[in-house]
Amino acid sequence: MGALQRVWRTLSRPSVHFSLGFLTIGGFIAGIIFWGAFNTALEFTNTESFCVSCHEMRDNVFAELKTTIHYNNRSGVRATCPDCHVPHEWTNKIARKMAASKEVWGKIFGTISTEEKFEAHRLELAQHEWARFEANNSLECRNCHEAGSMDFTRQSQRAVEQHERFLVTGEKTCIDCHKGIAHHLPDLAESTQ
Amino acid sequence: MRNVARHLGALPSAALSSAAILSLFGALLLAAPLLAQMTADELATLRGGPIAETLEPMPMPPVSNRDVRQVRNYPEQPPVIPHKIDGYQVDRNANKCLTCHSRTAIEVSQAPMLSITHFMDRDGQSLATVSPRRYFCNQCHVVQTETGPAVPNTFVDIDSILRQDAGASQQQ
Amino acid sequence: MSISRRDYMKAQAIAAAAAAAGMAVPGEAANLVTEREKTELVWSKAACRFCGTGCSVMVATKDGQVVATHGDVKAEVNRGLNCVKGYFLAKILYGGDRLTQPLLRMRDGQYSKDGDFEAVSWERAFDEMAAQFKRVLKEKGPEAVGMFGSGQWTVWEGYAASKLMKAGFRSNNIDPNARHCMASAVAGFIRTFGIDEPMGCYDDFENADAFVLWGSNMAEMHPILWTRLTDRRLSAPHVKVAVLSTFENRCFDLADIPMVFTPQSDLAILNYIAKTIIESGKVNEDFVGKHVNFARGNTDIGYGLRPEHPLEQAASNAGKAGGSTPMSFEDYAAFVADYDLAHVSALSGVPENRLEALAELYGDPDTKVMSLWTMGVNQHTRGVWVNNLLYNIHLLTGKISEPGNSPFSLTGQPSACGTAREVGTFAHRLPADLLVAKEEHREIAEAIWKLPKGTIPGKVGYHAVLQNRMLKDGKLNAYWVQVNNNMQAAPNLNEEGFPGYRNPENFIVVSDAYPTVTAQAADLILPTAMWVEKEGAYGNAERRTQFWHQLVDAPGESKSDLWQLVEFSKRFTTDEVWPQDLLDANPDYRGKTLYEVLYANGQVDAFPLEETSPDYANHESEDFGFYIQKGLFEEYAAFGRGHGHDLAPFDVYHEVRGLRWPVVDGQETRWRFREGYDPYVEPGSGVQFYGKADKRAVIYALPYEPPAESPDEEYDFWLVTGRVLEHWHSGSMTQRVPELHRAFPEALAFMHPDDAADKGLRRGSKVLVKSRRGEIISRVETRGRNKVPRGLIFVPWFDARQLINKVTLDATDPISKQTDFKKCAVKLEAV
Repeated sequence: MGALQRVWRTLSRPSVHFSLGFLTIGGFIAGIIFWGAFNTALEFTNTESFCVSCHEMRDNVFAELKTTIHYNNRSGVRATCPDCHVPHEWTNKIARKMAASKEVWGKIFGTISTEEKFEAHRLELAQHEWARFEANNSLECRNCHEAGSMDFTRQSQRAVEQHERFLVTGEKTCIDCHKGIAHHLPDLAESTQ
Repeated sequence: MRNVARHLGALPSAALSSAAILSLFGALLLAAPLLAQMTADELATLRGGPIAETLEPMPMPPVSNRDVRQVRNYPEQPPVIPHKIDGYQVDRNANKCLTCHSRTAIEVSQAPMLSITHFMDRDGQSLATVSPRRYFCNQCHVVQTETGPAVPNTFVDIDSILRQDAGASQQQ
Repeated sequence: MSISRRDYMKAQAIAAAAAAAGMAVPGEAANLVTEREKTELVWSKAACRFCGTGCSVMVATKDGQVVATHGDVKAEVNRGLNCVKGYFLAKILYGGDRLTQPLLRMRDGQYSKDGDFEAVSWERAFDEMAAQFKRVLKEKGPEAVGMFGSGQWTVWEGYAASKLMKAGFRSNNIDPNARHCMASAVAGFIRTFGIDEPMGCYDDFENADAFVLWGSNMAEMHPILWTRLTDRRLSAPHVKVAVLSTFENRCFDLADIPMVFTPQSDLAILNYIAKTIIESGKVNEDFVGKHVNFARGNTDIGYGLRPEHPLEQAASNAGKAGGSTPMSFEDYAAFVADYDLAHVSALSGVPENRLEALAELYGDPDTKVMSLWTMGVNQHTRGVWVNNLLYNIHLLTGKISEPGNSPFSLTGQPSACGTAREVGTFAHRLPADLLVAKEEHREIAEAIWKLPKGTIPGKVGYHAVLQNRMLKDGKLNAYWVQVNNNMQAAPNLNEEGFPGYRNPENFIVVSDAYPTVTAQAADLILPTAMWVEKEGAYGNAERRTQFWHQLVDAPGESKSDLWQLVEFSKRFTTDEVWPQDLLDANPDYRGKTLYEVLYANGQVDAFPLEETSPDYANHESEDFGFYIQKGLFEEYAAFGRGHGHDLAPFDVYHEVRGLRWPVVDGQETRWRFREGYDPYVEPGSGVQFYGKADKRAVIYALPYEPPAESPDEEYDFWLVTGRVLEHWHSGSMTQRVPELHRAFPEALAFMHPDDAADKGLRRGSKVLVKSRRGEIISRVETRGRNKVPRGLIFVPWFDARQLINKVTLDATDPISKQTDFKKCAVKLEAV
């Protein structure tokens, strides 16, 4: 009781020893440092090496990625986990990070720690991502693949036909057709999609 | 001789036109003496070099992605896949091929619907959906890489034979 | 083929002009031929030329050419399906470089070992061949002549060859390429059951509740059987599929229990399963008590290498590899108790829960289990042991010889069963499971063949690997190769096969339809008829014998293997090739050609030409003047009828889509050894393993023993060889079909992407694959159909430009003499 009262008293009264300039500029600098630290830590959790430090990711979805075009292709321009799975927009990013606390829980309690458990959850995990892509019109895909920059003369005939009919008209979004492009598809029989 | 064939671009499948039926016989007549004069180290046409030598492998040819349907040698031949299928998952969980080729998908995809024969079970009865015995498409349908045939094939398809017969009877 | 624009326009122009002139034009110019007379095709049945599944196909011919094939809807095996290779059967006869004339190495008009190939007549070819064979027989005797035949021979070709070698030249040096594929399975059958070939049949697919694949990539190698398995698995959701392999292959796409194990540890896994069955009380004690004996197999049996090899010197039982001593069930239980879960999981790399799931599947009395295996099990230095251990599990649980419960050894080649095994074209065998080493068996054969006692030699001849060694050592000097590409197929090409063929002391004859590398290494090449260019019969993996007629003619001067064998026999007389004492004791046989004593013996020539089909040609019969295929078949069938190998009468097979032997009173047998299904089982006995004298099968205690060559410091990768769906064997037929060639044009080295990265390689890089014996250069594949574990690469052997058998080791199972093509050590270098 006493300690709390003391703290309250110190905070609710004007400063005695430190100048206004010190407090404001110092606070400003401390804020920058804090923000930098916070952001660095946040960005660290947005790297592929962080993601695959969990074996659940490394042995399952990352291993699957390695044989796909998003990892190994002509130009060598490749996607890492955050490119697709972490929204670039700040508010959405923070929201996603808050939701990620469930993943920490999962890691601690081994929700998907074996191949069998992962397979059992694959559909649910996939559906989360698909729902997000559908809700934001495949925003993460469009961070790199901008429809306006697509050169249809360089695509295969099938691709051109589908993109002309459905992509540029806005009738469908990327994820509608390109499910399974980076990781193995789950057992769709049980899904309602 | 064989190496030239390999470096040709993707040829249409090798049933010949009627003109070449005549050269079929010519080829047979030619082949023996040609073979006869070949040095022993070149006899194995698919190898093209001495057995003891370590040969250089050919570059990996790309898979044809032109979406141009190829003529089948006979109606019963499963059509070759005219596009890439990299990463197309066909397993217990999902069949990627059917996302474009199933009966219900073709309006969106405009891909050829899989043959009606693929709905029949072992006893020839049609099922509601694709028969599981046809599930693994890759057992019958293969892609084609962009490379020439290793050795020319002198198979003559029925249309060519009928045309040849018609031509012959016309001349009588 | 695309009709050229020019042709199309021309046809239209003709039609237009003709119409203007009021002329009728043939139906074709009107864009479609419809006259029945023209469009009707002659469809005939045939067995597929490729794998041991033994699909039946319908073949259409027109104007003497094959114009189409499709899967035979009336066939039980495939019900109208084929795999991609089968669908292109119509094109395999038409490779542009078909051999049409005999070719002999000549220099200055004479045969010369280092000459170039020149076309010669059949006369000249046989003159040289007969001269060489006679010379060798005279100088060195029958042990210096040999033959390497095939599980792709027709039944009567194998039978004629066996007679020619064993009774004609009196040499047991005849072995088929089936030695490379099924010998371990055969020895497994004989050791466990006393009689060869599966007791179940393909009907098991539709009845099983679980499938376990051991070292078998069925999705690519037995595709139609895979479709039956897939059909069962996907139609009935309770069905489970377990797949065990040393790398992830297409079968894993359907696997409920996938298991990638360290090479050779299958031995340990099988013992673990047996232990679990025993300890969890899942042994079918009634069955075991009535039908099973136990034996402890000899261990430390070596690796079938040359006797001087240190591994062979170190092996205590290399000379008695197949021996065993009886033991009790309790001792057996104690033996397998060593194979506990933790130990086996560590040894094999398979997670414990998967091993437990597999053991549970086998143990559950209500789950009907079909075990399926092929080369991963058979091409194994302890392949016979693995076969025995697989039967152990099915015998412990009584899951055998009934629908769905089936340990099924899958056969690779189309007639390894029908020809090589059943006819016995092996260095140690005679027809119907008889053995050359047993005098009473030789006498049976001599009696049926109407030959003097003592004609057939009792000494076991050279098996496949030994033949190559003896060629190299100059002990085997006149050699005939038919229907295989052994230069490409046999292991350790650089050290054994190639020097063997090119040894100046040796005269090598190769019969083939196409110029293969084996032909290239030969001295005389005989152009050979293929598939439906001759009347033939094959026997598939489920004991089904299937016939076909000759449908088209062979090109040029090609002749069938059968014609070659029989015609060649005319060049020899008994006086020239049989020993004096035999002739003295049997003077009636003097002065006769081998043709007369072997083929014109009143049995093989018993059926007149009139009995051949009026609808089909039969060049061999026309040539020899009697229905030779029927004569050979009926003489051969005499061995098996009444002895558990009954074949139906010859003519029946031309009518039906094959029959599964034993065919007794017109009824085929689907499940052997079980009362009610198998006529040879005595009523009231339930199950009888009548191959053994006491009618009991044997469970063997056999341990884990390491492979011959494992990766080490310098050669740090496992090399596994195998096949791909699109190509059959050495690719000599399928590579000549453009669509199949384009589907998979060249061999690749399947490698883990991280291994590639570590070595500075990437997909498509050239890589030197090198062992202590040889090297090839291949290209890296990091994302193909096979996902290999770290430290292992997979290279298929269909590519004549990448002779991977330069790299492999000629270690064999010491009991079966079958090469282990799945394990040796290599190093990989960027090139």
